[in-house]
Amino acid sequence: MSFDDQMRDALKTFVIESLELLQDMEDGLLGLEEDQEPSERINAIFRAAHTIKGSAGLFGLDHIVAFTHVVESVLDTLRDGKLSVSPELVAILLPCCDHMIELIQAVADGEVNTKPAMTTAERQLLDGLESFLKPEPKQAMTAAQTTGEQFEASGGGVIDSGNWHLFIQFGENCLRDGMDPLSFIRYLATLGEIMSLTTFSHAMPDAESMDPESSYLGFEIVLKSDADKAAIESVFDFVREGSYIHILPLEDKIPYYVELINSLGEDNAQLGELLLKSGVITQRELQEGLNAQQAQVPQPNTRLGEILVDQQVVQQPLVNAALEKQQQIKDNKARENQTIRVDAERLDKLIDVIGELVISGAGVNLRALQTSDSALLEATSEMMRLVEEVRDGALQLRMVAIGATFSRFQRVVRDVGKELGKDISLVITGGDTEVDKSVVEKIGDPLMHLVRNAMDHGIESAEVRAARGKSSRGELRLNAYHESGSIAIEVSDDGGGLDRDRILAKAIEKGLVQPDAKLSDQEIYSLIFEPGFSTASQISNLSGRGVGMDVVKRNVTDLRGDIEVESRPGQGSTIRIRLPLTLAIIDGFLVGVGKSSYVIPLDRVVECLELSGDLNDRDYMDLRGEVLPFIRLRDLFNISGDQPRRPNVVVVHAAGVKTGLVVDRLIGEFQTVIKPLGKLFGHVEGLGGSTILGSGEVALILDVPVLVSTFEHKLQGNMHLAQA
Amino acid sequence: MPSLTIKDELTIYTAADQKSNLLMFLTAGDDLEINLANVTEIDTAGLQLLILIKREAAHLGKSLRFVMHSKAVLDVLELANLTGTFGDQVVLTQN
Amino acid sequence: MTELATIEEKLPAAQSKQTALAGQYLTFTLGGELYALGILSSKEIIDYGNLTEVPMMPVFVRGVINLRGSVVPVVDLLARFGKGSTPIAKRTGIVIVETTSETDDGGSQDLGIIVDAVNEVVEIGQQDIEPPPSFGVGIRPDFINGMAKRNGRFVILLNVSKVLSVDEMAALSKVRQDRHALPDTNNA
Repeated sequence: MSFDDQMRDALKTFVIESLELLQDMEDGLLGLEEDQEPSERINAIFRAAHTIKGSAGLFGLDHIVAFTHVVESVLDTLRDGKLSVSPELVAILLPCCDHMIELIQAVADGEVNTKPAMTTAERQLLDGLESFLKPEPKQAMTAAQTTGEQFEASGGGVIDSGNWHLFIQFGENCLRDGMDPLSFIRYLATLGEIMSLTTFSHAMPDAESMDPESSYLGFEIVLKSDADKAAIESVFDFVREGSYIHILPLEDKIPYYVELINSLGEDNAQLGELLLKSGVITQRELQEGLNAQQAQVPQPNTRLGEILVDQQVVQQPLVNAALEKQQQIKDNKARENQTIRVDAERLDKLIDVIGELVISGAGVNLRALQTSDSALLEATSEMMRLVEEVRDGALQLRMVAIGATFSRFQRVVRDVGKELGKDISLVITGGDTEVDKSVVEKIGDPLMHLVRNAMDHGIESAEVRAARGKSSRGELRLNAYHESGSIAIEVSDDGGGLDRDRILAKAIEKGLVQPDAKLSDQEIYSLIFEPGFSTASQISNLSGRGVGMDVVKRNVTDLRGDIEVESRPGQGSTIRIRLPLTLAIIDGFLVGVGKSSYVIPLDRVVECLELSGDLNDRDYMDLRGEVLPFIRLRDLFNISGDQPRRPNVVVVHAAGVKTGLVVDRLIGEFQTVIKPLGKLFGHVEGLGGSTILGSGEVALILDVPVLVSTFEHKLQGNMHLAQA
Repeated sequence: MPSLTIKDELTIYTAADQKSNLLMFLTAGDDLEINLANVTEIDTAGLQLLILIKREAAHLGKSLRFVMHSKAVLDVLELANLTGTFGDQVVLTQN
Repeated sequence: MTELATIEEKLPAAQSKQTALAGQYLTFTLGGELYALGILSSKEIIDYGNLTEVPMMPVFVRGVINLRGSVVPVVDLLARFGKGSTPIAKRTGIVIVETTSETDDGGSQDLGIIVDAVNEVVEIGQQDIEPPPSFGVGIRPDFINGMAKRNGRFVILLNVSKVLSVDEMAALSKVRQDRHALPDTNNA
């Protein structure tokens, strides 16, 4: 691979990762105002911006670095607590995210070497950001004060307390060596302010044995100082020998240092280094601790943390914090190692090949069945089991949680709500429900439409809501869960629900139903999915995008799913989409008509029964008192040959309606890999693809909802013609 | 009331002599007073002696007061935060 | 067949036949005529068999086969030329041809064509190639790149991208679908 190729690959990775980080950033920003303890969130947002800036710098994308730098500065101020979370701040940062996405997209589109001129939009964003960077006079004072005070100010604690706690027991010989402990204390006082000092003399023996030339005094000092631990420690450089000198962060400063440890970068995973980096221990203390650890016989078995606490150079909570951080870093590293970014195309190729493996395995199995070699049969069935396991494993690789798709709507709901002048909150549940990546990719647009629709038409204006005794804030819910081999996705609102009468009137007006038709509520609600149906009495900005619910429905059925609507007048409505978990594999029910085999998706099959003989030419039957219309596949597909004496009926359901499919033979259930039929067959309605059977033969997969509705339309067309 | 005036500095250089001097003085009575007015110099060793003598006096159930602290003594007591602990009346002298 | 006429009118004029047509060809017989395909577009030859019919497709789409795990449509050229469907016999074979879509961004698709028998791979020189006659062959002129004289017989050099135009065939299928939706056209 040439250097250019490597760069291109690296740049691709940069783009992908940056876009992911920006998504995280946006998610973080959207939840910021609600977060009671936002520090974690702010850190995450900051880190995202920081990482993007750093990576962009590696590629020499100076315009991205420049812009991100300002964003990062604002976030840094926020992180330091000098700026507080406000709707205005979020409102400026969100468009900044968008702008960064644009910048990075431009890079993805090949604009690497061009340095785009700063747009007006960017200028405006920067101006907006900078207004947050100019501190108000009061804030400026705070910033100018010492770090100690800043901490107190933000923590709201006692103002006059120091930040270091010193315990000093001078060496017994220091007086003899010509060093006066008190002079060191005086010198210490020059580093800051001694807030309190206690002299201990309990080390002094009784008068008899007391040596007046020995030093016995100990001091406990609280020092307020900007100096770091190493600087304070250096005060005692000359008397360290034989003295006990412990400098600890003050107890009430422990949370501050815990936070500091937590905010450390992730490149120093050693406990000692973490403590050292956060400034709670000095290099010397660390070295002594390590020496003590090494000196243990027969071999070091006390942990460094324990030693440091024992030696009183650091308090236990700080060691704990550092240990936690260390664990976290390890976990992150481990997670990094556990996650591999894989080219989706390669994964698809693998799944394709595994699909073929399944097919050829089925072929081998079939051959084996024709012999009566029991050892061979056993071997092939074991092989099939393994192959299926491999296939399931491969399909698992493509599964992703739907949460990322859902959380994108936080932004949509926020923006659209603003546009509509409605206060609407989005509640997401079931975000960890997993579904095939290809399904996730394709469900975004239909969901977008449903969400906009629910916000526009579903949720009433605040006045109407108030009049109906509801909270003025509307609620939109996105929910997902697994249900018998499919994923169900719900978009619900707590609005007014569907207007049954208006839908019916409109449908009659549009000629979708006969004026005298007797329809159940459910059937009426389903009319909103009919082509050319629009419920809005006035077309608003949002619904005027030329996409109707019929398009949503078509998108969903294209994914072999179905859609239904539930509505409670005055309380809201729920639109439920059911989709297969994967588009690559189907649990099928194999049936035969003439010489051909067809696969009916198993989740469409309700039951199978024999068609009783005396039907004459009727195309419906009695299913336990219910009228069951049926479609004769032989006729529909124009298959030559005679119908067997006792054909079978497969009862299928589509859009809540049961239909029978008359077939010659029932062959059985099997799981199979879907092969698209290609463009040539793009117009064949009622076929959802093909699959290869164990015999090597191709079987066609029926698309039940389309098949049924096409058949109905055809019948209606015939009836119209008959009437004409 | 027996009183002792320390004439010299209270430092490491005089500490050994001062220790016996002070301990001797403890036997002079039950209500004792030590005048520190002439202590022009005091270091940790001197401070230790003051602490020691106070402790011994208390130990023996005798009353011992430091009086007429010199500026040097006051500074050290202030620094060691012992003024209150010793509980002696402190009079600022014009030294 | 008004729809067909419309589609024909939309097709661009037959391309210049003076382009270099010389090269290697795979010749085959179908319905008594001798045809040739450029060797570069012919991928492989397989025996006819295990074909799955796809319902509601025009008669020239015979169905699909499994070609080592890929589902490949099989076209009946005779039906495509409007000369009835090809009877299946012992020597019937399928030539797998790679076609590129004209409208899609260069995506290629494999198609099978049914032949009565595969003959040989031959070298045809430019001097042996004549422009196609505007009528008389009984095949749409734009399907033919030229006529080559070989061993005293004419070989029809097929224009693969036209004959096997997936876009056109899909459009024709759609036409059939729509007609199919009407009564009494099931066997049209």
